[in-house]
Amino acid sequence: MNNILQFLFYILIFPGFAFCVVAGLLIAGIDRKLVARMQKRIGPPILQPTYDFLKLLGKETIIPRHAARKVYLAAPVVGLLSLVTVSLFIPIFNFSIFDKPVADLIVIIYLLTIPGVALIIGGSASGSPYAGVGISREMVAILSYELPLVIVLLTIGRKVGMALDGNITFSLKAIVDYQAQYGPMIAQWSMIPAAIALLLVIPCKVGSLPFDIAEAEIEICEGPLVEYSGPPLGIFKLNHAIKMFIMTSLFVTLFLSGAGTNFVALNVLIQFALAVVVTFISISVLKAITARLRVEQTFKFYWTYPTALALLSLVLVWLGL
Amino acid sequence: MKFPFLKEAITSLTKKPSTELYPLVKKEAPEGYRGRIKFHADKCINCGMCIRVCAPDAITRTIEKTEEGDKITFQFYLGQCTFCQMCADFCAKKAIELTKDYSMVGTDEEDFMVRGTFIKKLPPKPPVPPAGAAPAAAKAPAAAPAATEKPAEKAEDKKEEK
Amino acid sequence: MFKKLIEKGIEKSPWLLHINTGSCNGCDIELVSVITPRYDAERMGFKLAGTPRHADIVVVSGPITSQSKERLVRTLAQVPDPKVVVSIGSCPRSCNVFHGSYSVEGPLDRYCDVDVSIAGCPPKPEAIIDGLAKAVEILKTKRRGK
Repeated sequence: MNNILQFLFYILIFPGFAFCVVAGLLIAGIDRKLVARMQKRIGPPILQPTYDFLKLLGKETIIPRHAARKVYLAAPVVGLLSLVTVSLFIPIFNFSIFDKPVADLIVIIYLLTIPGVALIIGGSASGSPYAGVGISREMVAILSYELPLVIVLLTIGRKVGMALDGNITFSLKAIVDYQAQYGPMIAQWSMIPAAIALLLVIPCKVGSLPFDIAEAEIEICEGPLVEYSGPPLGIFKLNHAIKMFIMTSLFVTLFLSGAGTNFVALNVLIQFALAVVVTFISISVLKAITARLRVEQTFKFYWTYPTALALLSLVLVWLGL
Repeated sequence: MKFPFLKEAITSLTKKPSTELYPLVKKEAPEGYRGRIKFHADKCINCGMCIRVCAPDAITRTIEKTEEGDKITFQFYLGQCTFCQMCADFCAKKAIELTKDYSMVGTDEEDFMVRGTFIKKLPPKPPVPPAGAAPAAAKAPAAAPAATEKPAEKAEDKKEEK
Repeated sequence: MFKKLIEKGIEKSPWLLHINTGSCNGCDIELVSVITPRYDAERMGFKLAGTPRHADIVVVSGPITSQSKERLVRTLAQVPDPKVVVSIGSCPRSCNVFHGSYSVEGPLDRYCDVDVSIAGCPPKPEAIIDGLAKAVEILKTKRRGK
């Protein structure tokens, strides 16, 4: 009984639903404000994504005649649930909901593709040609960034595994323990190319310039979201904000983590502050100064530069450095 | 890979933003701005040049006859005006003026009408000539045929000369 | 309590949709310049939406030409409630210099109720900000009256 209540608390409040929503909307607001200040204007207030979400809850939902109704309404909810599940697996300094190491890196790799697939399914259920163009672009985007992402995660697993027992390990808790012992992963010089590769993968995953070919705003009338309105659109925008928080929090756990302090609340604040710094470096700066790349340019970019950096790190780690 | 404007982006974080805080701090339009129309009805003489010159036909005039004279109303519809200032340029008495008021927001038609009314008194009619004009009238027709004969002779002389 | 939160959301985050039905582009240039850093309208939450399904405030410019009449009516029908229609410039109000032409189908009043008009040819960006602020108030009363 005690266990069930504790797990309900984990799922609904602390690293689960409420925490994700609050942290995600805050990070999205901070990102918009930073972009505005870099473009020399006063931006929207930090709570602006919250106001957007509340407003969308109050609009009416219009379902087009050619749409597949149940899939159309269920797609955003599936994306939200998978993101909340990923957030349960990420340890925050020395706090984790699992006691023993589990193979959670593999689970994260395939759970992280579900929000993209939910966007594709929602778009194709709309029955609009603009959505068709948008979902084909989203598929190309997923293809482009999966390769460097998987290589980086395997590299980190191998490095930590060699220090533990000589084999590759797939547990995030083991990665955090390794960093508590030897210092943050980014301080090891053979992992720096992998860190840069992951910083370049984050904008495409999150859907921000210069790689936001899927949700291209004015170009193809917002791509897969073209026929959504009201609460389903609100949940898609919420997914977008939570994805920002999850990816930057994952980067902090993989590369900048450590022992942390003894208080959980302080650990959460430090993780959030580091996530804001990572957002600034990888998402905001690029969003403020660049334009959008074309589809084939994005694909070519991801399969040359970040893949080369990640492979360099993989080779260095496999050689034992 | 080139990142354009990277240095300017990072240094702009520390500088003050260059936004004008409009609703809180009002701003004045520059000199010579053509804004809302102001009509001085006391200077108008009802010549109608502005109506003739207005390109979108935004000016209408209505006349009402009263015992003092004509009550003339000019109506400028700002929803059709294109603010070219031709009416003010052509007005002989400078009765139309375009001010610097640029904020013209409204919800129905009445917010956009600028009207001016004035009363134009006609000048008094000339007096009717008295009855002693009959002999003068008899003399005039006698003199008239004599006058017409003379130019006819002159015309024949000219034709023979040619 | 929940209604109050949603009302606060509507007040602080209205999204615009811009429809050009054959205008000379003067009003369009002034509208887009409201989003630039000098008159930043994003601090009040305004954002140009890409599709009619995402918009709250519809900004129409231009006299309605014969070719764009059908498309305008169809696009206006796709905007979800509650919505506010704003006409910018003097063309949608009364066709300005184009009235009586063979290809102009008349003022916007014939096709939908216009809530706010902004006069000017073209209006100054500050006048546009005034008009949009008034449109947000009307949007709030529409939501409350639901």
